[in-house]
Amino acid sequence: MDQYSILGRIGEGAHGIVFKAKHIETGETVALKKVALRKLEDGIPNQALREIKALQEIEDNQYVVKLKDVFPHGTGFVLVFEYMLSDLSEVIRNSQRPLTASQVKGYMMMLLKGVAFCHDNSIMHRDLKPANLLISSTGHLKIADFGLARLFSNEGDRLYSHQVATRWYRAPELLYGARKYDEGVDLWAVGCIFGELLNNSPLFPGENDIEQLCCVLRVLGTPNQKVWPEITDLPDYNKITFKENPPIPLEEIVPDTSPQAVDLLKKFLVYPSKQRISASQALLHPYFFTDPLPAHHSELPIPQRGGKHSRQRMQPPHEFTVDRPLHESLVDPSLIQRHAWSCL
Amino acid sequence: MYHNSSQKKFWTYDKEETLDKLRLEANQKFCSKAISSGKPGINESMFLDGREEKVLFRHYEKRLLDFCAMFKPVMPKSVVGTACMYFRRFYLNNSLMDYHPRTIMLTCTYLSCKVDEFNVSSTQFVGNLQDSPAGQERALEQILEYELLLIQQLNFHLVVHNPYRPLEGFLIDMKTRYPLLENPEMLRKSAEDFLNRAAMTDTGLLFSPSQIALTAILNSATRAGLKIEPYLIECIGLKEDKEILSKMYESMRRITSLMKAYELPRAEEVDPCKQKLERIHAEFASNLKRKHGYEDDDHVVKRQMVAEEEWTDEDLDAL
Repeated sequence: MDQYSILGRIGEGAHGIVFKAKHIETGETVALKKVALRKLEDGIPNQALREIKALQEIEDNQYVVKLKDVFPHGTGFVLVFEYMLSDLSEVIRNSQRPLTASQVKGYMMMLLKGVAFCHDNSIMHRDLKPANLLISSTGHLKIADFGLARLFSNEGDRLYSHQVATRWYRAPELLYGARKYDEGVDLWAVGCIFGELLNNSPLFPGENDIEQLCCVLRVLGTPNQKVWPEITDLPDYNKITFKENPPIPLEEIVPDTSPQAVDLLKKFLVYPSKQRISASQALLHPYFFTDPLPAHHSELPIPQRGGKHSRQRMQPPHEFTVDRPLHESLVDPSLIQRHAWSCL
Repeated sequence: MYHNSSQKKFWTYDKEETLDKLRLEANQKFCSKAISSGKPGINESMFLDGREEKVLFRHYEKRLLDFCAMFKPVMPKSVVGTACMYFRRFYLNNSLMDYHPRTIMLTCTYLSCKVDEFNVSSTQFVGNLQDSPAGQERALEQILEYELLLIQQLNFHLVVHNPYRPLEGFLIDMKTRYPLLENPEMLRKSAEDFLNRAAMTDTGLLFSPSQIALTAILNSATRAGLKIEPYLIECIGLKEDKEILSKMYESMRRITSLMKAYELPRAEEVDPCKQKLERIHAEFASNLKRKHGYEDDDHVVKRQMVAEEEWTDEDLDAL
């Protein structure tokens, strides 16, 4: 612990306080998540174990927040993460004007790359939501909070809890009490986040679990065995019936959106989990290859952590002065020649 | 995936001698520390030597497995395998004289249940000890006391890849791609037994889970008088690569000989070692407490420590 000097408090998680700190040796700013073990009758909480488990077994990825270290401290231990300035929920909340189509595309691309990486490594996150998508000072989006993450296997004999995922982003099979599910729950959440970015407001803002299901059904239509054969096997299917109601075209739910965006959104928001488009497939969708192209991370807004004012970064990332002689700012051609050849 | 796992990176060793060396170092570290403590009446003959530690390790490891086998609700194989591996990793860098295996084995099992998402509550867990409610509560206190130490000693590497899943994989593969063998399922029983026995050896610290699983299959086939070498050569695609094939045979041979060398220690071997161990723990109990790392946090009210002697092997014997 004496390797770090505490700079301040960032927030409070389910299992302890998160501090902003500086690693004294390198000067690097980090987030310290303290997991205290006092008064916990079951010992080290599962959420902390899951987080360590998930993050230690995967290699570094640009779009997943990095667990830099774990060390014991006092009655518990400390998880050291790279420090992130903000999160996507703040970006959505604080942006003075709606995000541009290109910015939404930029976020979606980073989100999908992160999700594809997790799924390739057999990890389902189970709690994707804007607040868990952190934004770095360079505008990068990284998936965080693996407290609910599970390594999944295709053995299909293990039961999982359905009380996962924050309600607004919870997949319909979970709302129907499914105990066997797959990484499709993450893809549903990605769809919800996509819709929220497009509309600047949550897609399915249910106030309770029943209402949540109503919200989904209102848009996608009442499910039946024809569109969703597995529905009859779900534990809570017979507990609740809804009035027959036809689906509303997604074009009406996310108005003023390009046809490609609506098409991709449709592929996430389908009832049968197996039919949802995978993250790696989604990255190949025409949406990402049509104008406007995804924004570069330097063109994305970076609000201050906890601050009310957003800072739209309009200037390019490098500073330059108009008075500087031109030849000084030119790159020596010999430096790039080697790379130029490899481009041919 | 195993190939980028912490198991492969940090917990797979090149040869048996490396493991022996680590254990010997842990043993000697304890001895020299104990001697330098300057307590009256301490001498070399009190301590367990490497052989005695091995005897006790195997004894308590067997108890761990028995405890898991009796556990209600039925414990998945992977949970047992993980618990066993934790126990083995823990005593690679610690002597049994440092921390009592009776507590560590339960702590390993408890942690493994949590990590492998086999959700039992702490009371349900100790409810499996044939003990009075007060005894169970004491056991639980000790488990929770040692849990942090355990994950520290495991270097926070919690995911263990067991050979059970690769075994399933090979069986499926043989069913689909090796029609020469009529019923691969018949290999299952004896292959699973093989893996259960492999858990009691160092194989998991030396070989990949799939190598162990493949050895189990081969062993099971040989017992049934079946030839599956063509499967290894044709289906696993080692036909072209003689070098890898011979390396794999070599690994399988080493795994088999490790397993053959296993012997459960007899009671008359265990008992004198146990007496020694109890004496050492009684002598150094106060020192051990300081190692937990709990006390350096001054804002924490110190909990009253439970004397280790209160909870004895007899509580486990009732199993």
